[in-house]
Amino acid sequence: MSRMKKIAAGTVAVLSVAALGGCAGGDDPNTIDYWLWDANQLPGYRQCAADFNAANPDLTVKVTQLGWDDYWGKLTNGMVAENAPDVFTNHLSKYPDYLRFEQLVPLDDTEVDFDRYADGLADLWVGQDGQRYGVPKDWDTIALFYNRDMLSDAGISEDEMAELTWNAEDGGTLEDVIAHLTIDSAGVRGDEEGFDKNDVEVYGMGLANSGSGMGQAEWSWFTGTTGWTHTNENPWGDHYNYDDERFQSAIAWWAGLIDKGYVPRLETTVGASMPDNFGAGKAAINSHGSWMIGQYASYDGIDLGIAPTPIGPEGERASMFNGLADSIWVGTDNLEGSKKWVEYLGSPACQDVIGDQGVVFPAILSSAERAVAAYEERGLDVSAFTEHVTDGTTFLFPITANAAQIDGIMKPAMDSILTGQADVGSLTDANTQVNRLFEDAGEDAADD
Amino acid sequence: MTTTTTIVTQGRRIRRRVTWGAVFGWICLGIAIAISILPFYWVLRTSLSMNSALAANSSSLLPVEFNLGAFARVFGLQSTEEALAQGGSGAEINFWQYLLNSTIFATLTTAGAVFFSSMAAYAFARLRWKHRDLVFGLFLATVLVPPIFTALPNFLLIKNLGLLGTMFGMILPYIFMTPFAIFFMRQFFLNMSREVEEAAMIDGASQWRIFMQVVLPNAAAPLATLALLTFMGQWNEYFWPLLVSDESTRVLTVGLGTFKSQSPQGAPDWSGLMAATLVSAVPVLILFAVFGKRIVNSIGFSGLK
Amino acid sequence: MTTSTIVLGRRGATRDGGVRTRRTRSDIKIALLFIAPALIGLILFYFVPTIRGLYLSFTEYSVLDDPTWVGTANYERLAQDPLFWNALGVTVQYVVINIVLQTAIALGLALLMQHVARSTAVRGMLLMPYLMANVIAALLWFWMLDYQLGIVNNIIEWLGLPRVAFFGSAEWAIPTQALINTWRHMGYTALLLFAGLQAIPGTVYEAAKLDGANPFQTFGRITLPLLRPVIALVLVLTVTGSFQVFDTVAVTTQGGPVNASRVIQYYIFQKAFTQLEFGYASALAMILFIILAIVAFVQMKLLRGNESDLA
Repeated sequence: MSRMKKIAAGTVAVLSVAALGGCAGGDDPNTIDYWLWDANQLPGYRQCAADFNAANPDLTVKVTQLGWDDYWGKLTNGMVAENAPDVFTNHLSKYPDYLRFEQLVPLDDTEVDFDRYADGLADLWVGQDGQRYGVPKDWDTIALFYNRDMLSDAGISEDEMAELTWNAEDGGTLEDVIAHLTIDSAGVRGDEEGFDKNDVEVYGMGLANSGSGMGQAEWSWFTGTTGWTHTNENPWGDHYNYDDERFQSAIAWWAGLIDKGYVPRLETTVGASMPDNFGAGKAAINSHGSWMIGQYASYDGIDLGIAPTPIGPEGERASMFNGLADSIWVGTDNLEGSKKWVEYLGSPACQDVIGDQGVVFPAILSSAERAVAAYEERGLDVSAFTEHVTDGTTFLFPITANAAQIDGIMKPAMDSILTGQADVGSLTDANTQVNRLFEDAGEDAADD
Repeated sequence: MTTTTTIVTQGRRIRRRVTWGAVFGWICLGIAIAISILPFYWVLRTSLSMNSALAANSSSLLPVEFNLGAFARVFGLQSTEEALAQGGSGAEINFWQYLLNSTIFATLTTAGAVFFSSMAAYAFARLRWKHRDLVFGLFLATVLVPPIFTALPNFLLIKNLGLLGTMFGMILPYIFMTPFAIFFMRQFFLNMSREVEEAAMIDGASQWRIFMQVVLPNAAAPLATLALLTFMGQWNEYFWPLLVSDESTRVLTVGLGTFKSQSPQGAPDWSGLMAATLVSAVPVLILFAVFGKRIVNSIGFSGLK
Repeated sequence: MTTSTIVLGRRGATRDGGVRTRRTRSDIKIALLFIAPALIGLILFYFVPTIRGLYLSFTEYSVLDDPTWVGTANYERLAQDPLFWNALGVTVQYVVINIVLQTAIALGLALLMQHVARSTAVRGMLLMPYLMANVIAALLWFWMLDYQLGIVNNIIEWLGLPRVAFFGSAEWAIPTQALINTWRHMGYTALLLFAGLQAIPGTVYEAAKLDGANPFQTFGRITLPLLRPVIALVLVLTVTGSFQVFDTVAVTTQGGPVNASRVIQYYIFQKAFTQLEFGYASALAMILFIILAIVAFVQMKLLRGNESDLA
């Protein structure tokens, strides 16, 4: 017994030393932690990190990828736990909250030339105090990915597809096309007699999720054509408009597509992937963003087509314009190094590398052109995405405070509309709750 | 066993009746066992499949396109490109680090909790002092405290001490005692024979020496069982390590959760996930294979009075 | 849950601690030494957090800032918070389904083990799910119950029934969690009950048989009543444990779809760590604690669990 005791005691001692010694933080100031969420961009940024290290031998960049679902929770946790990454990819919807908690480092004194980015991108990242908090990284817009074979089988021409119209009453030619592309298991199309909406084999349009409060890829491309805006002003609005009749009737139309069997039910999307379903031939059209081009192009046996979003009741298209940026966490242990890395990320050197990968449109105009060229080399015509920028039909991603709370209110609200548990009138209630967040904040500010 | 004797002595008629019942009983038991075990086979089968081929052959009983890619991903042996090509997650899972962290966490907390709890249990069982049972009741009451209730302030405490993200901070709440350990050992001490203790006491030994050199060795068996149960419980901890760990101190359970969500805009990397699940379960399975009988026999309420 | 042995001790005359050599002085000094570490743990990590949690529940605290006192505002907000009531409702739904299912199945299994097969091998196999972490069980079933690719749905379709979105539909989200939990715990609970069955002396059964009782009468009039303390304890533990469901939800549905699985512990976690409202989360946790204490108290009273009908 005593020998076992000695062994046991010895093991515990060794492990204690290991625990207390090695693992206290373990953060090397000369390693810059960098987080991003898009795994498709990982190889490109790893290349940038390697190039950066070659130019700055004393600094190593560690690139970590976390899935979108986890990313923000872990980031916030990290800030609370004081071990957040030095530099991270930031998103317009989330960064106001981090500003409020003073977690971001102002970047005005870096050597970044903010004029070489696509129009307006750099200004998105200027806080209410006038300082810059993000170095633009890339931009994206929304378009419709479609299956060319399905289109030709249905007798729809690509020209038709490129000039779709939409309105909230009857769905315009968009709904016509979606209906015609929906096929049930007996081969009957969605707009034909005897279509069984409970036994659909191919959906006209796919569904990722309800889009919560923003609906960037899910619905903002048609709600944006009605003249409706998410907030009273942007950036830094403080009043949301989910009670607007234009918004509600647009969403009602969208939910109606599910009832008609043209779009899958929301419950089937849990644990599933809309792009993968497209790749498996289960949907004909997917509305998605330009960051997904590579993914959609990678599916074997799918002849990919990309069409611009439809023209709305006011005669124009619309697409949400989002631009990611890189920000520095205020608790970084190597401010100078982090700034250098951020400068490098925002420089043509890195953005060209990303552009050549052909996964996103980098923020620098010249790099973006390389991306377009890279896509063309793969036989992809991405003008559906770029024409929003050239035609000026973009609208900014809504930037307001209280993003996490708003998501907590809007996601369940939108989900219950899509599942039929509530009707669009419930959005007015949700809107009141959302706006109450700003009133309370206003009161608190007034009390100071 | 009483039942069987009765059957034999009472003749054929009864035996036939019991046989049908026994068959039905065996079928039910068999179904229960199957439901308990078969999922593990399914995990194995999926982990040995090629992720991108799973969609087409989701019902096949054997692995689909047998390959070890999933395990390679879990052990960090596959590059991002290879992983993405197989339809897997390009994310990194630092399996060895997680395994080490889980081991350290479980071992240290078990060692501390078992030892300190035994000390306390001895005081509750063998020593006489005022308010003894009241204090014991207080320890008992902590079982009813929901973990989330203490987790939030404990998180703040660890943060204030600057120990967030360290193994030391993670083991701190568990290392002093667990209520269960105190009950378990107290029960044993209450039932322990006093002779050897009394002999040592007559020899003039102090309580501490009696405890360390007489009582503890005597309690080797229940201590071992307790250590085993505590270890397994700590190995499976999720909530607290989730709050307090960072990348370098992450444990297996938390790592699993992370792995699940790190997929390239798509569905989870099923085969990778199942491989990670299997690998996380293996240490416990090994412990069970070695100590199974002891674990099984330890479950029950003893000393119902 | 690691509890597997509970003491229902009642101090009888022969059981007070201390040695027979009539020492009447108190061992308090030595005792303090012995319980010192455990006491540190109790105070530092149970008492102090309770007080602090209580304090925080009256504040607004984002952790990145300093706490600001807001009085009872959090509690008032709580009473009107539809998500809180939803969380309670969802959790209660989970607890009820879980307990009913688990206890019934475990009782059945325990009886089966008693009469059909008592081997360690059988018991071991039934125990295997319990040995796995909650997250492992959750992920395993997340895969098997997947809408598109899961084997269970494939079997369901093969039987001609429509596929079930176990994790995706609001009606099924909580029952699915309960099923997973039952799967994990049924063997363990069965073993607990089995041990209780073992404690019933065979003589009682023999006497019943002599009196001509059939199996159902034996079960209802003899087994159940004698098993009552064990069942009571099992119920208290499983109810308390079920209220604290978190791991499986965190790893699978994260509260969705549409709040259908947003159990109270997960809601508190989200409030604290995702939305950085530590003060409000503390108030929620406080309410949960009170509820659990009441539930446990009521249960023990109703089931008279600390008395036993055995001599």
